[in-house]
Amino acid sequence: MSKDRKTSTGSGILTKIVRNQCFIPLIALLLLVAFNLIADPGFFKITLADNSAGNPVLSGFLVTILDSGSELAILAIGMTLVTAASGGQDISVGAAVAIAGSVLLRVLCGSNSRPETLQAPIIVAFLVSCLVAMLFGAFNGVLVAYFNIQPMIATLILYTAGRSIAAWVNNNELPVISEPSFKYFGEFIPGIPIPTPFFIAVACMIVIGLVLKFTDLRLYTEAVGINQDSARLNGLDPKVVKVLSFVILGVCVAVVGLIKVSRISTINYSVIAKDIEMDAILAVALGGNALSGGKFNMAASIIGAYVIQFLTTTLYKFHVQSDALPAYKAVVVIILVVLSAPKVREWLAGLSKRSMKKEAV
Amino acid sequence: MKRYSGIFVVVLLACAAGGWMFFGCVPDEKAPSQDTMQDEEDYIVIGLSQIGSESDWRNANTGSFRSEFTAENGYYLLFEDAQQKQENQLKAVRDLILQEVDYIILDPIVETGWDTVLMEAKDAGIPVILVDRQIVVEDEDLYTCWVGSDFREEGRRAGQWLADYLESQGRREEQIRIVTLQGTLDSSAQIGRTMGFQDVLSAHGNWEMLERRSGEFTQAKGQEVMRDLLQSHKEIDVLISENDNMTFGAIEAIESAGRTCGPDGDIIVISFDAVRTAIQFMQEGKINADFECNPLLGPKVSKIIEELEAGERVEKIQYIEEQYFDTSMDLEKILEERTY
Amino acid sequence: MKKKKFSLKDLTDTNLLLTITIVVFFLMYIGAILFQGGGFTKPQTFFNILNANAALIILSCGLSLVMITGGIDISVGGVTALISMCCAVYLDFHGGNVSTSLLMALGIGLAFGIFQGFLVAYLDIQPFIITLAGMFFARGLTTIVNTKPFNVANEAFTKLKLTRVIVPGMGAPNRRGVYVDAYVELGVVVAILVVIVMFCFLRWTKLGRSFYAVGGNHQSALMLGINVKRTRFISHVLCGLLAGIGGFVYFLHVGSGSAAHATGAEMDAIASSIIGGTMLTGGVGNIVGTFFGVLSLGTIQNIVSSAGLDEAWWSGITRAVMLCLFLVIQSVVMARKKKA
Repeated sequence: MSKDRKTSTGSGILTKIVRNQCFIPLIALLLLVAFNLIADPGFFKITLADNSAGNPVLSGFLVTILDSGSELAILAIGMTLVTAASGGQDISVGAAVAIAGSVLLRVLCGSNSRPETLQAPIIVAFLVSCLVAMLFGAFNGVLVAYFNIQPMIATLILYTAGRSIAAWVNNNELPVISEPSFKYFGEFIPGIPIPTPFFIAVACMIVIGLVLKFTDLRLYTEAVGINQDSARLNGLDPKVVKVLSFVILGVCVAVVGLIKVSRISTINYSVIAKDIEMDAILAVALGGNALSGGKFNMAASIIGAYVIQFLTTTLYKFHVQSDALPAYKAVVVIILVVLSAPKVREWLAGLSKRSMKKEAV
Repeated sequence: MKRYSGIFVVVLLACAAGGWMFFGCVPDEKAPSQDTMQDEEDYIVIGLSQIGSESDWRNANTGSFRSEFTAENGYYLLFEDAQQKQENQLKAVRDLILQEVDYIILDPIVETGWDTVLMEAKDAGIPVILVDRQIVVEDEDLYTCWVGSDFREEGRRAGQWLADYLESQGRREEQIRIVTLQGTLDSSAQIGRTMGFQDVLSAHGNWEMLERRSGEFTQAKGQEVMRDLLQSHKEIDVLISENDNMTFGAIEAIESAGRTCGPDGDIIVISFDAVRTAIQFMQEGKINADFECNPLLGPKVSKIIEELEAGERVEKIQYIEEQYFDTSMDLEKILEERTY
Repeated sequence: MKKKKFSLKDLTDTNLLLTITIVVFFLMYIGAILFQGGGFTKPQTFFNILNANAALIILSCGLSLVMITGGIDISVGGVTALISMCCAVYLDFHGGNVSTSLLMALGIGLAFGIFQGFLVAYLDIQPFIITLAGMFFARGLTTIVNTKPFNVANEAFTKLKLTRVIVPGMGAPNRRGVYVDAYVELGVVVAILVVIVMFCFLRWTKLGRSFYAVGGNHQSALMLGINVKRTRFISHVLCGLLAGIGGFVYFLHVGSGSAAHATGAEMDAIASSIIGGTMLTGGVGNIVGTFFGVLSLGTIQNIVSSAGLDEAWWSGITRAVMLCLFLVIQSVVMARKKKA
């Protein structure tokens, strides 16, 4: 209801926000870059050297950001859609990544957890894990759409059970893939010095970009997110749209699962993609998208994801313990949500108007 | 409204019945759990409180107990997974006492805080056999004995191996820069291996320990920390990694940073645990030497229990036999015999 | 079938959900006694469940309060870990005393409650996102305070930790035939007091009733002259205070500081509240139900581990299934309400 009021109080504010969407993450990025330039310009050094397989590869902090940020960017795509359609977030993505990765390994390894050769082509394994992740996405979606459960609570179920299911899929064994080509997805393809996850992320962005451009997905999602009753009156089925958004997130999860598992050629059920849901939600928030649903800006979310990774890597660089990272990120989130709260924004707008008046005088 | 309430009763009964069938049937199928409790002559009931299933080593360790304490051997094993929490282990031990098991095998996750619960076990007349990690208690009589690895010796042997290896490479006088990936800080394995290696390190003036960082015994963390170490130290000659999982992560990091490791590479890698995968890595020439931490404690513990059953006294501290592997050995053959 | 004669249609939503929870809990426990026997026949098993879950009961009460007003707080687990660590560091490294550490615990809990409550109630920010940030902040801060987990050695504290309240007439002979008194820890007494106080508060005070009114329909609550913002704020403050008490009880139970403490406690607390019949949409809920919700979860875990379903994943999956079941029941109840 507050949303209705917001749209009616003035399209001026709204257009301003839309215009500013990419602005917030970019400013954050600039701040981080400036900080690093002052603290240690060595941060930006990129070196080209041969890795063990004899391929020339790039390494350095920026490459790390590009590499790890890509996983986040892929998840941010799905999370943005879920946020926009359902007005809530999926907190089970980390657990779902564990399941997808586990299924992938299970199909690749068959019954033997240390196979000499792959038991199935990678593409088949990926499709199976994709299917499983979509099913789990659909499960979340159905709980949200048909049983009217708040998204965070509905996905709490999978959050609780996900890693257990992942361990169960492989009988709690830790399969290891020795096939070198499996590593291409998480590391480098021979001859290409840029980490593969970046290309995968770009592919995902292109696909989602085309889908948003040539289908009515954006319209439907936003309509449902803004007001699902009026969407229904206009002949849209909000339930289907919501489930669809969760299924799309499922695909993103499967892709990230592939990258994560490929990186280490094995899996650790309790650690893989830990706390990634926080980062993904943060990326959406940083992109200036309303966490209560409605309009969204995909590009801003994706930039947001890389900015988050930039922040993480910067903190690592300064030897912040990885377990302490959440505290710093939490501060960023709190500042962001407080700044984007309608009340605070109104107050700020009032403040700036007043100061402008003063200047005019 | 009435129809709905009917549905509720049905749902409720169905869920209760489901619960009964599910939980009730399983033990009946698996093993005669109540009967074992009552007819103690038939089976020796063992309660095992395990830390978790965080690594291959742990799984091999659990597997060793499982395959040793089978019904065929005259045992019934109750297994409790503590999922890395002492509170869960304390509760598990208390539950085992209430279930009146004959022996408790405890792999303690931390060293302190066991006095009360061990006292309760002692009062109930249940011998407690500690495995793997050690504990600190005021009264050593609270537990029967401890079985596990001599971590300090492992560390010392690793240091000695490195000294010999450098000698054979003609690098005895060279400046050797070492980094260590430590295990979870304050765990017995971390303390023992760090100290054991330190014993040898301090005897060599030309060895320099650049940095020790914790990789918490996990692959992901090992990779992350190693990537960091590689970025902050340009010259690294030796990597000591206090378990295999971290080593796997570290090798990933080394390779993706464009460096090489192993006998033909520029970083000497010494690892601990010697799981099967690590031997395979050794075959591929990525690890130089691996010091075994034998997880197959089952047979030894079962022997101790036999002795206790016969009324014999057992030794308080019992080290398990351990070996090491390096690339000069016949790895093919070792691999064939390796079960974990 | 007796239930039916009692006429379900007279039941309010609160009572219906409460009845389901209590019946499920008793069926489960009786089932465990009948089919598993062993430890379940001894009352101490039940008291052990209480001992292990005392803190969770208190945290869940706090969550129920917030959820009744239509909000949510997922920071409680993180706050618990932070409190344990701060108290542990204060007691052991700074030689503090126990009563000051209790004040500290309450202070930390209140600080989180007030801050989050202010943002949620007065700035209209979604409670989920702000408390998610609160959770990560608390967790991160815990490692900043101290990285290593350690057990507290402070004497006054250990004495308090080991204090046991004997439950008369509930003891049982142990394996040696010696009669052992049944006991609960101090935390259980605190938890039961909290349950009683909160039950009375919600039932008989004006403020307590206004919680339901705000959660049920905040616009009509507004028309009734209830200060909606203040009520929501107070619910968060109370939840924070209870997190403080719960955190200290947890600390008293585990006696150590660790960043890994109470992982997933927030999820368990939410699940307990839901199983206990608290509606996510607000306005419906009962502290007694929450109490039984916690006990149900604890019992499930005990059943799973003593049924030989030893693999750790079972407890995760069974909990999730139970949560899912109750969520669906709630959703159906909601549908019924709408139709009625």
